[in-house]
Amino acid sequence: MTQKLLIAGTVLSLLLSGCGQNAPELDGKNNITDGSDIGGDTVSIDENGGGYGSGGSMGNYNSSSDGFRSVYFGFGDYTISPNMESNMNTNVKVGSSASAKIKIEGNCDEFGTDEYNYALGLKRAKAVKDSLAAQGVSSSKMVLVSFGESSPVCTEPSDTCYDRNRRVDLRLVK
Amino acid sequence: MQYLFVVLLAMNLFTSTLFAVDARLKIEKDVEQRVRIALVDGSTDQSSKVFNIFLSDLKISGHFLADTVHHQGDVSSNMLPPTLKSQEYVLRYSLNQQSGTELNVRLLKSSDGTQLFKKSYSIPTTDKMPFLIHKAISDINDMMQYPDISWITRYVVYAVYSAPGLSEIRLADYTFNYKKTIIRGGLNLFPKWADKDQRSLYYTSYKGTVPALYKLNIYNGSKEEIVSSDGMLVCSDVNSNGTKLLLTMAPEGQADIYEYNLGSRSKTRVTDFKGIDVNGKYVDDENSIVFISNRLGYANVFKKSIHSPATSQVVYHGRNNNACDAHGGKIVYSSRESNNAFGGNTFNLYLTSSGSSDTRPLTTTGTNQFPRFSSDGSTVLFLKQSGRSSSIGYINLTSQQSLLFPFNDRKIQSIDW
Repeated sequence: MTQKLLIAGTVLSLLLSGCGQNAPELDGKNNITDGSDIGGDTVSIDENGGGYGSGGSMGNYNSSSDGFRSVYFGFGDYTISPNMESNMNTNVKVGSSASAKIKIEGNCDEFGTDEYNYALGLKRAKAVKDSLAAQGVSSSKMVLVSFGESSPVCTEPSDTCYDRNRRVDLRLVK
Repeated sequence: MQYLFVVLLAMNLFTSTLFAVDARLKIEKDVEQRVRIALVDGSTDQSSKVFNIFLSDLKISGHFLADTVHHQGDVSSNMLPPTLKSQEYVLRYSLNQQSGTELNVRLLKSSDGTQLFKKSYSIPTTDKMPFLIHKAISDINDMMQYPDISWITRYVVYAVYSAPGLSEIRLADYTFNYKKTIIRGGLNLFPKWADKDQRSLYYTSYKGTVPALYKLNIYNGSKEEIVSSDGMLVCSDVNSNGTKLLLTMAPEGQADIYEYNLGSRSKTRVTDFKGIDVNGKYVDDENSIVFISNRLGYANVFKKSIHSPATSQVVYHGRNNNACDAHGGKIVYSSRESNNAFGGNTFNLYLTSSGSSDTRPLTTTGTNQFPRFSSDGSTVLFLKQSGRSSSIGYINLTSQQSLLFPFNDRKIQSIDW
């Protein structure tokens, strides 16, 4: 009987010791002051004075300027639709005679995330650039920038508004 | 014979707990495996905010089962009220913010009142108070010899849109009780930590004609331009020793992934596809990457060796898997599971690995995006939107504990921690 008791006790104690998460007893060994790892104060930088682009008022950034016409795209799409032909014809005409560099800005609606939306905006800008180049505008005087969903011209939650934000704006670099 | 029966019963219970549970499907870590702990507040000005930060830290650790009652009592007392005898440990604390912030913590064993841990923390400011609590809980966790949770002491950095064409880059603690804007003015996006110590970060500035990548020391404000590119420029990942970057850039108008060597200032093109390749993340031994590409006609996760052209598909479900993160061999990605053109889409997070096809869902409802691994890969941060409310969520992949914190800020552009 004593032997059984001993075996039972040993097995149980082994089982219990395997399950527990007992903390080591370190009474009195941690009485120190330590706030150093929290780190010092961080900076706060104001980047005003630049803005994106080459200056001018904010309103100018949200639609084409210098005689160019914005080009609009379908949801998730980066091909130029036939109904944008008139706008593209205008852009070819203005672009061909431009003496300054042309900045082609790709934009998206708000229904994308992170990097993918910026790449989508860039594909739209490149589609416009390729179309202009195919019609005689020099590639070397065009520069592409994607603004992703960062520069909406419209913030209402409506389909019309989203349509206006999926666009490429063109302007001269000044 | 009676004792033998007890032994057999105990063994049966033990083995069924250990072996019968499929760890991948376990919803919550067994309560018995977490130690019961109560908090006793000895502060002069007791605060539910402080108490809740303590609770959050204990919960997300996955190692403690915290009593949610806000007990009060002297921090220096060794006496434990009978109501706390059912707990295994009692954490007494006092937090004073009359001049800077001072936190005193003591961990006592409930059974006999033995003091296991005592420490004081102080900083000269009040706004970074949450970090003192995170540090204290991380230290107690270490003292108990549990798996490391020091990620709770790290900064989260994120960019928000403040107006059309304008953004701000902010720092926060993981609970977002601490927030500070570190870059305002202009359009500055895609913040990414440059080093493990979180002393510097990369971000994309739109100040010039084309996007440029800057490195900013967040403590002294020193800043240097790393590289610029036509089209777009994003620092998607930094290798483990901080010497190489994975950039999405478009020097020829085509968004592809490049590996940028900071020492030689040279770049190697990693992907070459006429569609969209973005979001490169080092995986496995940092000789391969996972990334997002639309080469099948929709956004999905792919894997590629940095030095060879072979590319393989990683994910075989979902209509649109447009963001991912990686840590070692682990991959987390967001997957759109509805098809509404405008809003109302369900995005869920999934965990998979570079070496197997095993995939498990991490979320099941709402819009869950921007998944990011913690520095040790044990926890995933994400942004959850349900209806009009937004939250920052955390999922401890080991314990399956999850937490949501209200996110009352502007629209997030990008996030890193």
